[in-house]
Amino acid sequence: MQHMSVSRREFLKVAGALGLVAATGGSLPLFTACGAKVKTGQTLKVGSMTPSTGPAAEKGKPGQDGLLDCFNYINTELKGVNGHLIEPVWRDSKYDPAVVATIVPEFMDAGCLIFTTHASAEMTAAMAIANPAEFPGISTFTSQTLYHPPKHIYGQMPDYGDDWIAFAKYYLANIWKGTGKPRMALHLLNNSTGKGAEYGADAMADTLGIQIVANEQHTATITSAIDSLTRIKAQNPDVMFISSTPQPTSIILKDAHSLGLYPGITVGCAHASFTSALVQLAGADVSEGVYGVYSTVTWTDNVPGIAKATEYCKKYNSQDFGNMDYLSTWSTGLVIAQILKQALDNVGYDVLAKGDVNSWRAIEKSGIQKLNGYGVEGMTAEVGYVPGDQRLSKSLKMYRITGGNITSIGNWIAAPYIKYEDYSWFPKS
Amino acid sequence: MDLPTGIRSFSYGEDMAVFRTKTHWFWLLLLLAVLFSMPLFLANYWLSVANLIFITIIAATGLNILTGYCGQLSIGHAGFMAVGAYTSVILTTRFGLPFPLVLLSSGIMAGLIGMLFGISSLRIKGFYLAISTLAAQFIILWVISHWDSVTGGTNGLPVPPAKVLGLVLKSQSDKFYLILIVTIIIIFVAKNLSRTKTGRAFVAIRDNDLAAEVMGVNPFRYKLLAFFTGCFFAGIAGSLFAHWTGYINPESFPFTNSILYIGMIIIGGLGTTVGPIFGVIFIQLLDVLVTHVSPTLQAAFPGLSSGFVVGIAPMLFGVTIILFIIFEPRGLAHRWQIFKTSYRLWPFSY
Amino acid sequence: MSMFLQFTVTGIAVGLVYSLIALGFVMVWKSSGVANLSMGQMLLLFAWFAYSMLAQKGIPIWLALILVLVFSLAVGWLMERVILRPLIAQPILSLITVTLGVSFVITGLVSFLWPKGIAALPRLFPQNPVHIGSAIVSQEYLWAAVISLMLFALLSLYFKYNRTGIVMRATADDQKAVQACGIAVTKIFSRSWMLAGALAAISGVLMASIGGITFGLVDTGMRAFSVVILGGLDSFLGAIVAGPIIGLAQMVGGGYLTPLTWPGVNDVIPFIIIIIVMFIKPFGLFGEERIERI
Repeated sequence: MQHMSVSRREFLKVAGALGLVAATGGSLPLFTACGAKVKTGQTLKVGSMTPSTGPAAEKGKPGQDGLLDCFNYINTELKGVNGHLIEPVWRDSKYDPAVVATIVPEFMDAGCLIFTTHASAEMTAAMAIANPAEFPGISTFTSQTLYHPPKHIYGQMPDYGDDWIAFAKYYLANIWKGTGKPRMALHLLNNSTGKGAEYGADAMADTLGIQIVANEQHTATITSAIDSLTRIKAQNPDVMFISSTPQPTSIILKDAHSLGLYPGITVGCAHASFTSALVQLAGADVSEGVYGVYSTVTWTDNVPGIAKATEYCKKYNSQDFGNMDYLSTWSTGLVIAQILKQALDNVGYDVLAKGDVNSWRAIEKSGIQKLNGYGVEGMTAEVGYVPGDQRLSKSLKMYRITGGNITSIGNWIAAPYIKYEDYSWFPKS
Repeated sequence: MDLPTGIRSFSYGEDMAVFRTKTHWFWLLLLLAVLFSMPLFLANYWLSVANLIFITIIAATGLNILTGYCGQLSIGHAGFMAVGAYTSVILTTRFGLPFPLVLLSSGIMAGLIGMLFGISSLRIKGFYLAISTLAAQFIILWVISHWDSVTGGTNGLPVPPAKVLGLVLKSQSDKFYLILIVTIIIIFVAKNLSRTKTGRAFVAIRDNDLAAEVMGVNPFRYKLLAFFTGCFFAGIAGSLFAHWTGYINPESFPFTNSILYIGMIIIGGLGTTVGPIFGVIFIQLLDVLVTHVSPTLQAAFPGLSSGFVVGIAPMLFGVTIILFIIFEPRGLAHRWQIFKTSYRLWPFSY
Repeated sequence: MSMFLQFTVTGIAVGLVYSLIALGFVMVWKSSGVANLSMGQMLLLFAWFAYSMLAQKGIPIWLALILVLVFSLAVGWLMERVILRPLIAQPILSLITVTLGVSFVITGLVSFLWPKGIAALPRLFPQNPVHIGSAIVSQEYLWAAVISLMLFALLSLYFKYNRTGIVMRATADDQKAVQACGIAVTKIFSRSWMLAGALAAISGVLMASIGGITFGLVDTGMRAFSVVILGGLDSFLGAIVAGPIIGLAQMVGGGYLTPLTWPGVNDVIPFIIIIIVMFIKPFGLFGEERIERI
């Protein structure tokens, strides 16, 4: 009995302390939510979410660091956008659609002008709320379903279908030496990352002259790809394209290596997996010679954006150095700043101050859709808006893994605009 | 036992009533008034949190009937929610059925699928039964991710807003009223189900299914009924979830949710009506709180390592659950009971 | 035929790796009846710790592996002493939920201590694959399978002949009787959690050497759940047999059925098999059948 009463008292203490924390912590967002309706400060609020914990943390965490470091850079060194500081409202989405469905209203309440997501899966969940409200959003990684047909969601980088097309074009022009159609096998992750590449292949394989001989799927956490690769090997492919994340891609490469499938055929990777982590996981020897597509330059390129990203990364998040996800969201940050600048130049701060539907329309009409030939400090291909095409940057670069390093092999390859919504197999939304 | 002294019953009906005294009714009406006026003073964000909480309460109430009352452990509840959600969307978009009918059908569909997997409960129990429900989760989600022509595969499906009595429920507050009303009905049904012959049969099976059978309770029939009811509620929750988020895909119903639902009803208190409500509110608000800890810390101390800022949220979440269970292993409902008793006796509690 | 052999060999190898994780799970269940929901996170934690020792600190492999083992024993002990001991004699579901809390704590700890999110262990095994007939299997898998079998043999001997092992079995059977014999049950719990920690460390390091260190390890840990239940929650033999069965079902079943059905069919075949087995053997393949009385 004595023991019981002690533990109860302790329990109440703990509960009391937690309640206090809950009261203070919980009220903070409530205040910001109410305060945003009033015209305070002169900041520009940008909502951003990254899957920093949970199943996609390995990409989300560096993505978060890149984006927030970039905003930090814009605020401290460029003194914000036209003198207005960017105020990031960042949330960890945990890669959970239910969490995303509460974060988006929070961004809207807080008076954010625009929001960003890192993964296309996050945007899939977010756009159901953002589109009807005309709340403009930009996703760093994108799949075609986000903006076919076009609404209020934009893709900062080309989509997974574009990866396939860019790789296929490069392959036909520079690698394929045989006669007839090359035989290609696809190894796709079972979500929009893989589906996107499949759509690209469905739309363009015949036009380009490529025969798809196998289409295998894998989950995000496979431990062996021997069975699918055995089937692929039986089809005698000339080339294999993988659209996935680094971990499964490394398993596929390792198992292809054991089976003697690679080296032998050409292997190309889409941009979601093509980062230094892939080389580390698969090993430099196994991944030697693998081709990859990416939409930014790499850490070794000599452009102003990389110099700044390197400086900030080494200073604040040295663990992300060499990670391509850091660069992709860094460039998202730069594009956001440019959009805000365009909007400020065109409509002025007063329209943006409220963070309501009028501000959102202004951001979209006078910001995003006025983008034209912005250089993104050399980090991606030029960014611009063409009516109907919601991809802001439309070109990709080819890379190859040599000696454990990701090396650039050639210039930007333009990925054509495809009106996916006209195909019968494309999902209607 | 639960009543203040001096309250007498003059009829059986009175004796059985859930709300006995004027004070009971006062608190109930006050609670309802506060709930229904919430859209007046809450921002959209908090309404969306409330919506998620209510939807989860419905799902957890279903799980509580299955696990808490009938003792059949299910770790595939999110899978049954998925069945309800997809049924709901397909019936709305393809067949254009009215929403109330859609809601009901989603529940029935999920209930039937639940019963199918519940058949194995005839022979297996405890953690072995858990695997059959776990299998349900993975098989259901696998079918959903691959049956592209119907479910949209991994891309998922957009969900049009629900239409009730000619009203299109688009905004968070519209959805809030819909979800709130359904939640109240569900809680009402659940509370009363537990007091019927069926509810008592469930409890008998939970406590000892052999003894229950000897007493004349048909275990197979009631186990299946428990599966149907529990999954019916999950289906309703799934349908509301779909119309709340406006988009569903297989990733909306992860296995981790199934486990978290079990955590919620245990923290709340198994086998009570208020248990799941407390458990869900506790876990979801804790989640909201820790989600805001990271950005608040980041803004206040820019020098902190980003790893710490991100890691602190799940750590706090986990530590709170651990502390909570160590100090109150019988759940919040137990604590609530103690609170009510001491409140009634105050200031002369001894 | 060569395809069949390939599927079989891979299936058995992959399955034995799952068995290894399952052994750690059975360890805890056998002595205390607790289902450890934080198994996947424990794999992740120990894999990252191994990464710290091997890649970041550059300690020689043998010493690093010993340190990982010591660390895992300490974590196992700590979990039992701090979190599970206060809950002795509480409802069993509360004990299971508390391990759910532990899983969140470890998730947070991992993102705090290793913000990198993804890393590879230095290679522990040679890269060149081994040929078994016409089938090919990588050395990583082969070694993992061999270690899994060796640990199974060791554990079986330990539980059969070692005094503590026998007491552990007795504890699982009847806690009160063991206590009446003057043996501290808490000590037995503590020991079994330490062993479970060590098993998680070994499987974590092996899994990480195969697929790298990512959050996906948690998923892999959860997948071992199905092996455990198929084999019977309290049977080491069950775990070691059920693993290859699931692996074979995945590889052979998936290998031939995928072209006929939807891709990814290998992910659900194990579950379909489990449901069928459950109908025939309700306590798993080797689980103890309990006879109930009123």
